[in-house]
Amino acid sequence: MLIELSGVSKIYNQGKANEVKALADIDLEVEQGSMVCLKGPSGSGKSTLLAIIGCIFPPTSGRAAIAGRQLARLPDRFLTLHRRETIGFIFQRFNILPELTVLDNITLPLLPLGVPPRERRQRAEELMERFAISHRAQFPAGQISGGELQRVAIARALINSQPIILADEPTAHLDTVLSQEFMEIMQQLKTTGKTIVIASHDPLAFEHPAIDRIVIIKDGSIHVP
Amino acid sequence: MRPALVFGLILCLLLALDGVLFVDGLIRRKAEDATSAKLEVVTSGLGLTDLAVATEARYTRHPAVSDAMAPFMDHPGAIEHFPTGTFWLLPQR
Amino acid sequence: MAQRNLEKQLNILDYALSSLWRRRLKSLSLLLVFAAVIFLLASFQMVTQALTDKARQVLVYTPEITLQKMSVGRQEAIPLAYREQLAGIFGIRRVVPRIWGYYFDEVRLANYTVMGMELGEMPEGARLDTTLSGGAMPGTDERGRVVIGQSIKKALALEGRTTFSLFRPDLSLTSFEVSGEFSPDTDIMTNDLIVMGLAEARDLFAIPAGLVTDLCVYVANPTEIETIAKKISATLPSVRVLTRPQIQKTYQVVFGWRSGFGSICLLTALAAFVILAWDKASGLSPEERREIAILKVLGWETSDILAVRFWESVLVSGLACLAGMTAAYIHVVYFAAALFRPVLMGWSVLRPELHLAPRIEVGNILLILAFTVLPYLAATVIPAWRSATVPADSALGG
Repeated sequence: MLIELSGVSKIYNQGKANEVKALADIDLEVEQGSMVCLKGPSGSGKSTLLAIIGCIFPPTSGRAAIAGRQLARLPDRFLTLHRRETIGFIFQRFNILPELTVLDNITLPLLPLGVPPRERRQRAEELMERFAISHRAQFPAGQISGGELQRVAIARALINSQPIILADEPTAHLDTVLSQEFMEIMQQLKTTGKTIVIASHDPLAFEHPAIDRIVIIKDGSIHVP
Repeated sequence: MRPALVFGLILCLLLALDGVLFVDGLIRRKAEDATSAKLEVVTSGLGLTDLAVATEARYTRHPAVSDAMAPFMDHPGAIEHFPTGTFWLLPQR
Repeated sequence: MAQRNLEKQLNILDYALSSLWRRRLKSLSLLLVFAAVIFLLASFQMVTQALTDKARQVLVYTPEITLQKMSVGRQEAIPLAYREQLAGIFGIRRVVPRIWGYYFDEVRLANYTVMGMELGEMPEGARLDTTLSGGAMPGTDERGRVVIGQSIKKALALEGRTTFSLFRPDLSLTSFEVSGEFSPDTDIMTNDLIVMGLAEARDLFAIPAGLVTDLCVYVANPTEIETIAKKISATLPSVRVLTRPQIQKTYQVVFGWRSGFGSICLLTALAAFVILAWDKASGLSPEERREIAILKVLGWETSDILAVRFWESVLVSGLACLAGMTAAYIHVVYFAAALFRPVLMGWSVLRPELHLAPRIEVGNILLILAFTVLPYLAATVIPAWRSATVPADSALGG
């Protein structure tokens, strides 16, 4: 199992007046090469769950093992190191830095790894070719179309050959055509052996045939219909 | 070319300029020695006590031997009104 | 591993540079203002240092003891008769009377310094010819002949003429013939001088016979200066005794770079703080927070992000420092501190050509760094710690 969560809960600001229980007692297993959709309304705890799977912070209690690593006692620094080897993120609105060029955006995760410029370029060019954005390499990311932006975001999530792709509401700000294109790319990635977790409440996403499993989150726990 | 390299080049150019200035400074310093000899003769030959940098008033031209009272002729507490006086202190004995 | 680490630092440097480049208007203006502050600071420091150096170097040859008579708290003419009283003091080698003072030229509104003495009696008096760029020093018996400094030559607009006239106090004219002019090399000492014989000076200023303005005393043994000065003080209580060490000390105070420079430092350091207050104190903008959150999620450690901020500050302040100091040196050496001339020379009408050769000392550079770069680094890198508080998950929506 690439993602193994058992009894995971997350409480923000524990012990303080503004304590928030975001997740309670989550059990989830995702095997390699599968595509899972976390479905639920906003505020249901989807993003928190995604953050735990994405090694951004450890759960308050419970066991979370991502790609064979227990997060619970991992200090922040090792979480970061583990995250950049394991997880490729695709954000809502993609979170591309608009002033940087497409190439620089894609290679952003490689900088702290000490990858020299030539190799960075090489890796990015492969991906840009694959997603047909090579001609935009030197454009500031703020000046390209929505569809291209989406492919830049995907390329960035793949640049370090991470085994797990996490997408947070990727289609929320896309039209139907682009949303479909996004899901198709995800389907392709799935066939190459990537494990994909998508948090979305967009029917275009969770009703896509490539989705192996839909996990419904409601009020911080997994809802079994 | 990566930005670090471009910056490095600019830095090197600046440092090269500084190097040229340094070498020129050495040459100037050598030329200065001849001048210094003349200055020594003129100073001891005329018994000069001060540099001729500011000649706006007697106590700025010859601060070392001028009357210490000079700047305050008008009133003992009067503030000096020449511009150089704001940068050069009064001689203290 | 070391290779990777170096490459990582280079990558971070690249990122810092490109992020400076993205905000090039702001970075460049920051760089310029910072460089200007350092330029002013360093120029001022180099000028004062060059002048102090010059003074220290030249004033070693100043008369050993200068005597002036004080009356009613003011300086007045000193009787030549005092020489007899001095004769009793053992250790005095020679006493040279001088009449020197200022001649205010009402046409050119300039103060000339007139020096009247018998040059033959002065040490090195015989070698004074070597300091002239033309002509010769007047001989002992030659009357009405003077040697002038470069600015006097300009002010009198001699243009080939060799005679000029000055007014006595009763407005009658007395004329002089120029027998030589001081070399421009000695401008810093001789710029405003008119050197003449004692008799001519007495005539020009209408000083009664038997009086001079001061007496230069030369001693046999320079280590005895203080002792002899004390003896003179005791013998002639109404006389002000100025010793060579006092004059040298005076100069260190006059250029008082500790006080003058110190105040300038404080001002500019303050200016530096204003710049960075404008730059950083406003805190992290939403864009910066977003950028930091994105970088964190993408696997940048907090230390990497701090390194970017650190590099940005080091690059800006380092480049500003280098450029500012280089410009300051060029300004002082090649443009003779043109910006400071009005301040240094005040409202003088006669201005010497300054040939300044500042020494570059590690200590002075460090001083400037301490007043500019250090506060800037402190004020920019420390707030960057706030970036550590930006949670990575803020890049995730909803």
